[in-house]
Amino acid sequence: LFSAMIDPTEGPGTRARPPVLAPRPPDLRGCRVGLLANVKRNAERYLDEVGALLRREHGAADLVRRTKRSITDPVPPDVLADLVATCDIVVVGVGDCGSCSASAIGDGLALEAAGVPAAVVCTDAFAVTADAMARLRGSPDYRYVRTPHPLAPLGPDEVRERALAALPEIVATLTSGRAVA
Amino acid sequence: VTTPDEVTDQDRLAYARAAIEHAYDRGWTDGLPVVPVTRPMVEEFLAQTARSADEVIAAVPHLDRECTVEQAAVNAALAGCRPEYFPVVLAAWEALGRERAVLGGGWQSTSGPAPLIVVNGPIRHELNINSTGGVLGPGFRANATIARAIGLVVRNVFGIRPQELDQSTQGVPGRWLLCIGENEEESPWEPLATEVGLPAGTDAVSATLLRTCEFVDNRHTQRPDELLADFADSISRTGAAIVPFSSAGLVLGVEHAQLLAGHGFAKRDVQQWLYERCVRSHEDLDRVGKGLDGRTGPGIDGYGLRMLPSPEQLLIVVAGARNAAMSMVVRPFGFTGWSRTAVPVYRP
Repeated sequence: LFSAMIDPTEGPGTRARPPVLAPRPPDLRGCRVGLLANVKRNAERYLDEVGALLRREHGAADLVRRTKRSITDPVPPDVLADLVATCDIVVVGVGDCGSCSASAIGDGLALEAAGVPAAVVCTDAFAVTADAMARLRGSPDYRYVRTPHPLAPLGPDEVRERALAALPEIVATLTSGRAVA
Repeated sequence: VTTPDEVTDQDRLAYARAAIEHAYDRGWTDGLPVVPVTRPMVEEFLAQTARSADEVIAAVPHLDRECTVEQAAVNAALAGCRPEYFPVVLAAWEALGRERAVLGGGWQSTSGPAPLIVVNGPIRHELNINSTGGVLGPGFRANATIARAIGLVVRNVFGIRPQELDQSTQGVPGRWLLCIGENEEESPWEPLATEVGLPAGTDAVSATLLRTCEFVDNRHTQRPDELLADFADSISRTGAAIVPFSSAGLVLGVEHAQLLAGHGFAKRDVQQWLYERCVRSHEDLDRVGKGLDGRTGPGIDGYGLRMLPSPEQLLIVVAGARNAAMSMVVRPFGFTGWSRTAVPVYRP
């Protein structure tokens, strides 16, 4: 039945991209840390807190701060190339809207494909869309970091607490042995 | 086994119903019934354009998804379009492709934005695209199905579905329904497509994404300054401002447009008047927790924040019946304004 009905979801389809995750370092000592922030409220502050904690508690080296002006577009090629050239690991965030959470996962996978381990931080309200994005990009089990929603209205102390709470998961995501392809 | 002679009309209608249910089961619909699409139907749509079936007409780069002419045709047929609407659908896709928000992740936004598709030119009459009474719908096949054809591509081709990759928090009433003709016959001004640069009389489509429409009912005044001040109050509403960004447009009812034009206002005068006066004070922004905290930038001064990015960014379309003095303030989505372009409708 209905074999003559055209499936409206059919088409040339998506380009197949094999999932590629970057190799992980055993720990973060001496690692140069990229912080790729979007322009969502508190994103930069959150990543700054994460960066400071990675230096203080895990011996990370320099911080490289980059801001993505568009919350929805993929990371621009020049910013991506710059991060790949200057960083050993990158923390991406914060996905706390419909388009930017998917976009953040996309950026994380782009960094991984270029050989740089990434920890993408999304708020838990967007887990469904982040998961859907990871699935669509061929990495259904891509590990990312969830932080409680919302982040945007929080004050500085609360942002610091969120960063502190997520730190073990961020470190685990970036170091060897626990990354899932 | 039933021979063809024995197939009753009731049997055929039962099969049609089952086909519609099949589409539901496969997740192809937006919640309303769709039209079952067959290969010959698709060919009828493709015959309405000179473009090649495999040409890509829209894409969502960060999802690696693209839509071809043929996929757009399948979903236009699914939406209930007649084949002759298809050139308008293609022009709508081209117009949407000029919108910054669409090129980004607009379809996935928590704001759940609705495309507003505006049609100018004689093609409105040819296709029965409503531009007068009840223009914002429903009740008119061309208006309803052209807009729906866009939504079904987002769902079926891009794979952006609610509660998955579409993270719409509440969405916009009228999403996938907002295709309007401009009431050029009763507008006192040049049509939108002419304002943005196309020759008069061109069949053309303009488009942007909206976050909502809000009515302004002013049957009370004959003074243009009082009417404009009423618009300014709605435009300057703090709830619609994502400070420091804010935008607005007007779907003007005929009476309001004629009142303004009768007092010598051209469209650009209306735009300038509202640009200058739609300003919200720092005190007001602070009061609703949207204070700028000393931020500087375009539109910000010592007094407050302008609610329009520039005069010309105030979209003005005249549509609806000339039977009451009411208009809609519309809210374009995004932080960078609309493209201010119109796309000609091409037919072979």
